[in-house]
Amino acid sequence: MFNLAWRNLSQNRTQFLLGVGGVALALLLMLALDALLAGSEEDLVAYIEQSDADIFVAQAGVKNMHMAASAITWRDLRLAEHNVEVISASPILYTTSVVKAGDSDVLSYIIGFDPGEPLGGPGEVAMGTAVLDTDEVIIDDAVARSQGLALGDEVEIMGHTFSIVGFTRGLTNIVNSVSFISLRDFQMLRPGDAVSYALLDVAAGADPVQVAAAINGRNPDVLALPTAEFSREERQIIRDMSVEILNIMNLSGLLIGLAVTALTLYTSTLRKRQEYGVLKAIGARNHHLYSVVATQAALSLLLGFVAAIGLVWLLGQIIPLAVPGMGLALTRTGITRVLISTLIIGVAAALAPAWQLVRLDPAQVFRS
Amino acid sequence: MDIIMQVEHVTRRFGVGRTEVVAVDDVSLSAAPGEVLLIMGPSGSGKTTLLSMLGGLLQPSSGRIRIGDDELTQLDEDRLPDVRLHHIGFIFQDFNLLSALSCLDNVALVGQLNGLPRKDSRQRARDLLTQLGMEHRLDFLPEKLSGGEKQRVAIARALVNQPTIILADEPTANLDSHHGHETMRLLRRIAKEEQRSVIIVSHDQRIKDIADRILWLEDGAFKNVVEMAADPVCGMSVDKDSAPAQVEWQGRMFYFCARGCRDEFLAAPETFVPAQAN
Repeated sequence: MFNLAWRNLSQNRTQFLLGVGGVALALLLMLALDALLAGSEEDLVAYIEQSDADIFVAQAGVKNMHMAASAITWRDLRLAEHNVEVISASPILYTTSVVKAGDSDVLSYIIGFDPGEPLGGPGEVAMGTAVLDTDEVIIDDAVARSQGLALGDEVEIMGHTFSIVGFTRGLTNIVNSVSFISLRDFQMLRPGDAVSYALLDVAAGADPVQVAAAINGRNPDVLALPTAEFSREERQIIRDMSVEILNIMNLSGLLIGLAVTALTLYTSTLRKRQEYGVLKAIGARNHHLYSVVATQAALSLLLGFVAAIGLVWLLGQIIPLAVPGMGLALTRTGITRVLISTLIIGVAAALAPAWQLVRLDPAQVFRS
Repeated sequence: MDIIMQVEHVTRRFGVGRTEVVAVDDVSLSAAPGEVLLIMGPSGSGKTTLLSMLGGLLQPSSGRIRIGDDELTQLDEDRLPDVRLHHIGFIFQDFNLLSALSCLDNVALVGQLNGLPRKDSRQRARDLLTQLGMEHRLDFLPEKLSGGEKQRVAIARALVNQPTIILADEPTANLDSHHGHETMRLLRRIAKEEQRSVIIVSHDQRIKDIADRILWLEDGAFKNVVEMAADPVCGMSVDKDSAPAQVEWQGRMFYFCARGCRDEFLAAPETFVPAQAN
C-alpha cells in the first residue's frame, strides 16, 4: 500500500510539487515566525548573557531590562557589595534612546558603565577599544554597517555628540541596538543620585542563587536575581509580547496547511475514485484504502515539513545579510509545535477522503 | 459434474412502491469447473446487476448465491471482500488498471491484499505475466500499453490469487478484432486448462465461439437458454440442442458440428479428450 500511496502522490509532478510546496509554505509560516522570535530573544538577551555578571540587582519589583525602568541608590549598591561572597558590584545606567547618525535615528539601549569597574561594559569589542573616555561611544557593528559609520565618526545621543571608538558584535536585534557610553557622561546627561542596575561578580564556588537571596533578605528596596533567571525573565517579556501574534500566525499556518493538504488529498482521492472502487471490488477492505490515503497525507506532510525546515535554514542564512540584527533560530519547542500542528493537519485532512472511501460503492466498477 | 457457483431464484429490486424496478427476476444458473458461460442481452436487461451479485458486490433482494462452500447471501457485508479476494477474479471492460502502478505492481498488489508476502506476490505476478507474454512490459505503466496488453495484465491480475471463478464484464469491448480474439482464446484456455469457471457478460457475438453455454437475459430473466459446446475434433462451437451428432463417452456427452467429426472422434476418443485432473 505504501508503494501505491507514493505512486499516487508522485504520479502528477505538478500536483505533487504544488501539494508539498503548499504544505511547506504553510509550515514555513509557523516555523519562520517562531524562529524569528527565538532569534530575537537570543539577540535581546545578548547583553545580559555576555555581561559575565553572576547577579543583576535592580529596583524591587523590576525583573528585566526591556521596557523597564530601574533605580537603585549607591547605598543599595554598597549593601549588595557588602556581602562577603560578592567580589565586585558594577553600576550601570540604562535608558532607551536614539543614536542619531546624520539624518538617521537608530533606536538603542544606552548603557552608561564605568570603565574602571570589571562589569557593565560590552562583553567583547570586535574593533576599537572597550576603554571609554569622555564623549566616546561604542556601538554595534551592525548599526555601523547599516549607517555607514566608521571608527572616529560622530553620533548624537541624548542631544550630545559622541565619537565612535569601538564596535561590538551581536548586540543589534530586530527592535533596537545597544550602545555604550561612560557612566560619567550618562550622569552628566541625566543628572541624579541613582543608578539603574548593579552587576555583581561572586566568588568562585559561591552559589549566585543563595547570594541573591541573601541580598534580597537584607534589603527590601532591591531585587537581586541570578543572571540566568534575569535572562529568563527578559525572554519571558518578549514571549508575552509576541504570544498573540505567534498564535495568530500558528493558526493561520495551521489553517492554510490544513486547506492545502485536505484539498490535495481530496482531489487526489476524487481523481482516483474509480481505481479505489476497483480495489474495493477486487477485495481490498476499507482499512487498506485508508492506509493509502493516510500514507499519502503522511508523505505530503513529512516532505512539506522537511522542505519547511530547509527553507527556514536558508532564510536564516540570507536574512541577517539583508537585515542586520534580524536572526532566525530554530528551537525544539518551535519544531515540536509545528510537528503537532502537522499531525493535526494530517488527521483532519485525511477525514474527508476517508469518508469518500467508506461511501464508495464497489459495484460502480461495472458502470463504465 | 462439480458445481463451483450455484445461483437459485435470485431477484434484485431497486426502489419501493411505484418506483420499484425489478432488475433481475428469479434467475437461476450454475457454473462448472472448466466451463465458459456467456451471458448476453440487450442494454438494461439486468446483466450488470446480475454480474454485481455474482461477484458479491451487490446482495440480491431474494434468492441464494453459493460459491464453493460459501453462501454469499448469508454472509455479513464485511466478509464479502475476502470471498471476492479468494474466489473471484474480475476482468473489466475498461481494464481498470491502477494508472500509477507498473504492470508488475498492478498484479502483485492483489496478491499482497490476499496476504502474500511482497516478494512472493511479485514472483507470482512475474510468472503470470510471463505466461501471458508480458515479460517485456513488466515495468511499464498502463498508459504505455496497447489495449490487448492492458487486458492481459488485467487477466493476470484476475488470476493472481488463483480464483475458482473469473467474472468478465465486456472483456472485448475496447479491443480491436485481433486483440478481441486473442483475449477470447486466452479466457477459454484459462477455463479449460486450469478448470476455472469463466462467466462473461458481453454484447460481442464473437464470444459465442468460445462459450460452452450462452444465456440470454432480457427484462431481468433468462430467455431461450442456448447451451453451446465445442466440437472436440474441430473446435467449432455448436448448439447442444441442434448439434448434428452427439456421443456419450466415459460418462460425458460430446457434441459435433458434423457426422464426420463424430466418426473421427469415435476412432480414437482419447486423442481428443484431455485426461481429467483428479
